[in-house]
Amino acid sequence: MTRKASQCVEIEAEIQAVAAGEAEPEAARRVDEHVRECVGCQAELERYQRIEREVATMRNPLAAEPLAALARERLEARLADLRTRLVAYEVITTAVGRILLAASEQGLVLVEYLDRRHDVPRILRDHELEPAEDGGQLDPFGRELQEYFDGRRTRLEWPLDFKLVRSPFQRKVLEETAAIPYGAVMSYAGVARELGRPEAVRAAAQALRWNPLAIVIPCHRVVGSTGALTGYAGSGRTDRKRRLLDLEGVPTARLTSDFRIRPEAMYVLTPGSREYCLPTCSSLEPAPAAHHTAPVLTLGARLFASRERAEAAGLLPCTTCRPDSHPLNP
Amino acid sequence: MWEGGQAAESPAPTATAPRLVDRAGFEALVASHHAEIYRFLLRTTGRPSDADDLSQETFLRAYRAYRSLTPDANVRAWLFTIATNLSRNHFRAQKRRRAAHAAASETVSQHGAPEPDGVMIGREVEAVVSAVVSRLPLKQRLAFLQRKVHGLDYETIAGALDCSPESVRAHVFQALRKIRQALRGHELIEKEREP
Repeated sequence: MTRKASQCVEIEAEIQAVAAGEAEPEAARRVDEHVRECVGCQAELERYQRIEREVATMRNPLAAEPLAALARERLEARLADLRTRLVAYEVITTAVGRILLAASEQGLVLVEYLDRRHDVPRILRDHELEPAEDGGQLDPFGRELQEYFDGRRTRLEWPLDFKLVRSPFQRKVLEETAAIPYGAVMSYAGVARELGRPEAVRAAAQALRWNPLAIVIPCHRVVGSTGALTGYAGSGRTDRKRRLLDLEGVPTARLTSDFRIRPEAMYVLTPGSREYCLPTCSSLEPAPAAHHTAPVLTLGARLFASRERAEAAGLLPCTTCRPDSHPLNP
Repeated sequence: MWEGGQAAESPAPTATAPRLVDRAGFEALVASHHAEIYRFLLRTTGRPSDADDLSQETFLRAYRAYRSLTPDANVRAWLFTIATNLSRNHFRAQKRRRAAHAAASETVSQHGAPEPDGVMIGREVEAVVSAVVSRLPLKQRLAFLQRKVHGLDYETIAGALDCSPESVRAHVFQALRKIRQALRGHELIEKEREP
């Protein structure tokens, strides 16, 4: 490579600018003067002009079009997936502990108790959810849930996203559970019967072991056939289940080491009926009582904490036992 | 759900599913800018598979951050910045991988530049320019492509490369100079380009 005069070195940037059509008039004049006397730089200018023409062809938007179109298709598929995973979240502190709420654009997708685990982004990732930037969007959910805990709200019919539900059967169980009114309880056996699969009691209980939408899908309103408050929130937290039932007015009693609901102190709705009865009503089917089980629970009845709760569910008092004239003692 | 909560005692719930991303707005953004960002990444990486991955990652990141974008933001510049950062990460990772495979000896080929004193016609010039661009140091290549091919201004490119506009000018200058040097000694004959 030949060594260039310092003048030629200095003017190279301006030669580039002239070739690109970006030079200031002053610089263009200097280049013009220089190349008239310098054959080498004249050739450089021509090369740069040639390069500019070549670069212009690189700007052609049609150049990579088929490849770009394929990439775009793949992008759309990944965006569709991301849309289902992106969630806003919020942590609220309640009487039963800290609760994580997460919602996608379809609706509430996760309501989880934060016990030992506090790394929320990690929890979301474990569920294959992705936290969206920005917050505050779930304030209405948090506020209404607090109203529930304060006893000022009996309705939480929110838009739900069942994305985290693990099987169609679990979804059916959750939907059946979601239909149990505030202040009412039902047994796992009852849920299984309602689903038309009375033999699937264990499977129904299993399906409720992990409920992605705690409280909102009220699995705390499902009890064992003995009335026992069996495991809750995955770790036998029956204290939590009891607090929620207390809140909703469901009477409970202490067993030796655990709690059960008191079916004898609750109004009864037998499957298919629209009337609620006293637990002693003669119209109730006598059932062969297995050891320790509450017959009405085994048969799939719903039990209501109070007349108020039963009537809020649209039920009428039974005309045989007249719970309206002889209410249970609270 | 919770059937029977219909009694007037409790107010109807008002919470609604959150709107996380303005979908129509983002679709318009993809329609306007995807092809260009893809071309930029294809020139930057030289490999369709890498351009594919990096362009997807660019727009997925943009989707996640779209809410926080201010209405007066320069969307195109913003996308170039994301694509530039991802490219630099990509090559950094690649460099580390190559270093890890240090056993493989120096295999960087020197193809591309024809012997000097030849005659270059039409497409040969194009091939040389492309080859030189593809071998530019990354920052020069990124600056050159954004300035010369995509016409972004120096300030914008400086933002994407996290350096001064003067450095961007210097990178572009050096890039052009290398291309020019590769063409030196060749008689450049224009030829009608194939359609």
